[in-house]
Amino acid sequence: MGLSKSAAIVGAAESNEIGYPEVPKTSLELHIEAIKNVSIQTGIPISAIDGIFSAGMSSEIAEHLGIHPKYIDTTSVGGCSFEIHVHHALLAIFAGVIDVALVTHGQNGWSARRIGHGGGGGYGGAGITSPSVQMTIPYGFSGAPSHYSHVMVRHNHLYGSTPEDFANVAVVTRDWATLNPRAVMFSEETHEFGGKITTETVNNAPMISWPLTMLHCCLVTDHGGAVLIARPEIAKSLNTKPVWIAGAGENMSHSNMLEMGDFAATSAFASSKTAYEMAGLGPADMELALLYDSFTITPALTAEMVGLAPRGEGHLLWKEGHAAKGGRLPINTNGGGLSFNHSGMYGMQLLIEAYRQLSGTAEDGVNGIAGKQTNAATCIVNGTGGSLSTTGTLILVADD
Amino acid sequence: MTYDKPVPTPSPLTKPFYDGLKEGKLMLPRCQDCNRVHWYPRYICPFCHSINIAWIQGSGEGRIHTFAVQHRASGGWAKEVPFVTAFIDLNEGDRMATVLRGIDPAVPSAINIGSKVRVEFEKAAQDIYIPFWRVVGD
Ligand SMILES: [Zn+2]
Repeated sequence: MGLSKSAAIVGAAESNEIGYPEVPKTSLELHIEAIKNVSIQTGIPISAIDGIFSAGMSSEIAEHLGIHPKYIDTTSVGGCSFEIHVHHALLAIFAGVIDVALVTHGQNGWSARRIGHGGGGGYGGAGITSPSVQMTIPYGFSGAPSHYSHVMVRHNHLYGSTPEDFANVAVVTRDWATLNPRAVMFSEETHEFGGKITTETVNNAPMISWPLTMLHCCLVTDHGGAVLIARPEIAKSLNTKPVWIAGAGENMSHSNMLEMGDFAATSAFASSKTAYEMAGLGPADMELALLYDSFTITPALTAEMVGLAPRGEGHLLWKEGHAAKGGRLPINTNGGGLSFNHSGMYGMQLLIEAYRQLSGTAEDGVNGIAGKQTNAATCIVNGTGGSLSTTGTLILVADD
Repeated sequence: MTYDKPVPTPSPLTKPFYDGLKEGKLMLPRCQDCNRVHWYPRYICPFCHSINIAWIQGSGEGRIHTFAVQHRASGGWAKEVPFVTAFIDLNEGDRMATVLRGIDPAVPSAINIGSKVRVEFEKAAQDIYIPFWRVVGD
């Protein structure tokens, strides 16, 4: 048997509260709630977990759980860390080292602003003393939006696209969020700027980093999430449906944006190539896509990189309605980082929605209402980390 | 007026760059084996992995690769918004980050990718100068 489908995601759960909790949460608390929930969902006891994968917190979490895993991976390369964890878990299970892998996420992006500290789970980028940081820090860059805007400007220059074209990504993604009651932007009741929007709303929102207005940018929220991955014999013995890991790949083009060779390309070209080859599938076989949407440029450019659209035309998937409900390729059915939830690293939210869609549980009344569930049996998941730096791609398929 | 924006701290690796700036020179690291210039300073050539790297004086000329207009910033930059950040393709190869001068941040449509830029230096602290790039042509 080959690597493809040698393990399955057997459950996926979130922390009890996500978004903007009443009482501030710590990252550890968000992790633990989600882990407890996925254990209950799958019936797999926490004591059966023998591999742990998280972005920077694995030893602390394992100790907190009182477990002694045989495989410890704490890869922290930004928002795509969790897709990369799934890749690594697949390899560890295929190699026979472990039986059950926990991939876990907890990040209090919202609460940290209220309690004054992060509580772990940050992006493991280069430190202040690194020469690359030294050569960018004098110039007033202030976080992710101030970097990603340069990429949209370059895309506009090369392909004649416009910021207004990309506003369609925000509009379609918001439509999906109105089908997800746990989305921050679900309705006018859940957020003052919630509910349906138009490209006008996006264009007229406050400017953050031209050409990105606030509605071209993701949210800052809390989120905890956990998935369990198991070898086939275990996966087939559970009450939850397995979602098979048919392909996985990872790559990176740079760490600091100073080293981004092509400002209209990402390493998702390479990571998806690896994943498609493992799966024996191609872009035309994908019936659903979950593409990291930190900014409207991110999923559009990613769609080009993973072969879902020609170079320069990724944004047309949204503008022409293909990515919307009823379209030929639904994209970001949870409402995305733009309108559902984005805790700083969004890769876990992608995994959970992919599991729900492919296991037929995307419309459970809590995480989705009528119209959110698609009939997709294949899904490409692409995480992007850092400044369009690192990528992890998964090809997931539903159980027969 | 005192300079109130982030000031880099030279390390042994980057000191030749800052020494050059004091004399009005834009020094760049070049590999002595493959002859390619790279930016930022490194312990090893990222192109051929040679460790024979020497500093050369750059022309101080380049072109805009891409840019953006920052409307939010922190620290000393906050009171300068909007300002235009950019990545510059150096004539010698590879790319440098900067804040552009000689443009109007309120009219981004008048800023063009590919425009010629020239470096200039601003004193930030005792012995520390920072390079900025000014648009000088189409
Ligand atoms: Zn070399």
